[in-house]
This record gives sequence, structure tokens and C-alpha cells, in this order.
Amino acid sequence: MAGCQAEADEVSLRTKEIGFVEEQPQKPQSPTMNKNAAAAENPINALKQVKGIKPKTISIPAIGVEAEVLHLGVTENGEMDVPDTIEDVSWFEPGYEPGENGRAVLAGHVDGAEGPAVFWDLNDLKAGDEIIIEGDEGTRSFKVYAMESVGLDLADVDAVFGYRSTPELILITCSGDFDHKRGTREERLIVYTKLVEK
Amino acid sequence: MKKMFGSLSVAMVLVLSLFAAGVLADSHTAKLRVVHASPDAPAVDVYVNGDLTLEEVPFKADSGYLDVPAGTHTVEVFAAGSEYSEGEAVLQADLSVEAGQAYTVAAANTLESLEFVVAEDSMSVTEGKAKVRVGHLSPDAPAVDVGIIGGDAVFSGAEFPAVTDYTELDAGTYDLEIRLSDGTQVLPLEGTEFAADTVYSVFAVNTADSLEVLALVDYEAAASPDGMPTTGLGTPEQSQMNWSLAAGSFVLAAGGGLFLRRRFQH
Repeated sequence: MAGCQAEADEVSLRTKEIGFVEEQPQKPQSPTMNKNAAAAENPINALKQVKGIKPKTISIPAIGVEAEVLHLGVTENGEMDVPDTIEDVSWFEPGYEPGENGRAVLAGHVDGAEGPAVFWDLNDLKAGDEIIIEGDEGTRSFKVYAMESVGLDLADVDAVFGYRSTPELILITCSGDFDHKRGTREERLIVYTKLVEK
Repeated sequence: MKKMFGSLSVAMVLVLSLFAAGVLADSHTAKLRVVHASPDAPAVDVYVNGDLTLEEVPFKADSGYLDVPAGTHTVEVFAAGSEYSEGEAVLQADLSVEAGQAYTVAAANTLESLEFVVAEDSMSVTEGKAKVRVGHLSPDAPAVDVGIIGGDAVFSGAEFPAVTDYTELDAGTYDLEIRLSDGTQVLPLEGTEFAADTVYSVFAVNTADSLEVLALVDYEAAASPDGMPTTGLGTPEQSQMNWSLAAGSFVLAAGGGLFLRRRFQH
């Protein structure tokens, strides 16, 4: 193992040279287009109509993912916590809820000790693929618009988990070569999705 | 230059070039929001650095926050549908934006005297509080106060084209009004709800005789972790030794994190 710090394997090969951004129309955010009656009465009260849900399941038909979503926070060293299992997905509960403005973040493992985990095929997602999140409050659908594999030191965590003027859902798994020194892969695969307006 | 997005006439189009500069999740971007606040101006197209970025923005519409690289950008406004020609914009400015900052750029005043009003937006709020500012963007309206009906002013003496500093309020419902300094009510805003952990901009727009409010949310607070998740339990060589080491640390991590875990349907 001496001198072997970054090791390539199937995961890193699958996520090499990956990434896209779909050019897409932005809907104007005009109060004149807000059909809500409250808008006419008091435009300030018409603002916070966008509600999120607490996710219980995620399904991604394009890559055959059906999983339970655990509600987790941070680990002892401050990282976003992840499930102990390879089949579950975690939602960063202290952050935004799927469906409210801002970036709700879900994470799942790419592999386990014995093979592929829930987000093994995340790199196969294409622009427009659908992510369906269900909770007690209802269902929210999102569409993929961008993907990138980012070096751990380049990723701005506050941006990935940050506020947006529209609801977004972010999916994260590991990518890149395995860094034995850090005990994790060198990159993270980040999939950016936007709420599908009903 | 030929119009590239004619078929998407209703939508604002966010052009790829704003994103193309590199990593999406990097820390070298600023947030920029454009607001059309000129009551007699037609819908406009907005070009950033010569690229069509927002199309057919009508009066009282805003773009939501766009990510732009930190640095100086040339922002040009044209009447919607007109041909782009460098230097021929009805309104043009070079705007410097800093990484990590958010900005509102309003096209304000009457068409004849169109001007940019630029404000730096807050992306933070004390936990449990609401944070509010007002902007006077009605070109012919006198100075106004915004205050509690029958009570104190929250914002005093706001004049066109000023955007006030933010002030933090307890979250809750307020019977507000826009009024002249002598107390004459200009616009009632009864039952205004300010939510906790939320930053608001409330702009008074349109002409004095049809004064109205354009309200925007600048920010809603939520927590971020310090680091990205460790989302691989495997290693390239799953030797017996690696596996037993991984299992050991796995048990430690599980124990340490128990108080944070909440599992559903169990």
C-alpha cells in the first residue's frame, strides 16, 4: 500500500469525464402570474406558498432505484451523515425540505464492501430523468438538469446545500479514485434536479 | 445577432454561458437577481456580457437568483424582441459582483429616465427572526414611512430610489401600512405575515396613483454540514484486512451517530 494513495477502480472509471448542464427555460416569477387570491390582498403573504415534504421514499425509474429515505444530520466530524446500509438513502434533515425553495440534499452509497449500492448507477442519469419523492404530506417530482463530479476540496458545501429561489433536490454519491490516505473517494458525484411544477 | 430563443417567447431563458465557467458547486459565484420596476417601460430582454440571459421580463417580474461568476459584468437592457447591438441598450452598466454575495438589480424610474438601482442582499438572519427591508421604486411618489397602523414606523423617510437597510423583526403577523410622514395612509398592508428564518425585500412600485407592493424573498435559512457525505463503503481491493478494518470503524461511526438517527417505519 505504500505510495498508493489514489487508486482507480470501476467506480472511478464510470465517473471519469462525466457531467452536463441542460440549458432550460426559466419561468418568470411575476406576481401578475400568481393565481393565488392572497396575492391580490397582500403580496407579502403570497410569497411563502411553496411547501416542502419530509421524504420517506425516493424512486428513480430511469435507473431502477426504489429506496427508503432516512432523516439524518451530521457525523461527529461535521460531515453530512449517511446510512449504515447500502440500500437506504439519507436526507440532510437540518437543511431544506424537498419541494421548498432551496437545495434539499439526499445521499446514498455508491458501493459496499461486496459490490454496488443504491446510487451505483447515479452516473447514468440524463437531463430530464425524473426523481420522485414521497412523504406523508404528498409527492414531489424533480427533473435532472445537471451533473458533475467534483473534487472534495473544490466542492463548496454551502453552495451544494444552499438557498435557491426555486425548489431543488440534490443527489450525492462518491466518485473518483479511492484515496487510501483519506479513506474515501477523491470526488463526489452531484446530480442537480429541479421541482416539476404541477 | 439573431434571436436564438424565439420559440420560447413566454419564458425567460437562462443562457448556459453563465454556468459554463467551471464547477457548478464552486465558491466563486455571486447571486444576481433582476427586477423590472419601471412602470411605463415595456417588457425587456437582459443581456449579460453580450449574451441574452433573460427574455421578455415584464414589469413587476423578477428573475430569481442567477449564479454568475465573481467579477465585472456588463448588463444591458433592450426592449423585448429588439436586435442586440453593442452600445445601443436603453440601459447599460458594468456591475462588479463579489463571490458569495447576492445582489438585486432593479431597472427603475420611468422609461425616459431608466436607471439601475443596485442593492446588496442579505443571505443571513438570526434564528427565529424575520429580516425585512423596503425599497422605494415608485418614481413620482413622495418619501414614505412603513409602519404599524396606528403605531410606530418600522422604516422612516424612504425616498425614491432608496433601498433601506434590513431590520430584524419577531416573526409574526403585522398590520402594516405605507404612509406619508404626516400619517396619511398610501397603501394598507394589513395582516402581513413575516415568517421566521426568512429575509424579505418589499419594494413599492408603480406610479404614485397606482402604488403597489412587489415583495420578494431574499433568503430562507437552513443548516449546512461542514463536509460532504462519505458515500462509499467499499474500497478498490476488498481484502480480508480492509474489510475487518472497515467493519470496525463502521461500528464506531454507527455508535457515535445514534442520537442523530431517526429511522422511519420501524
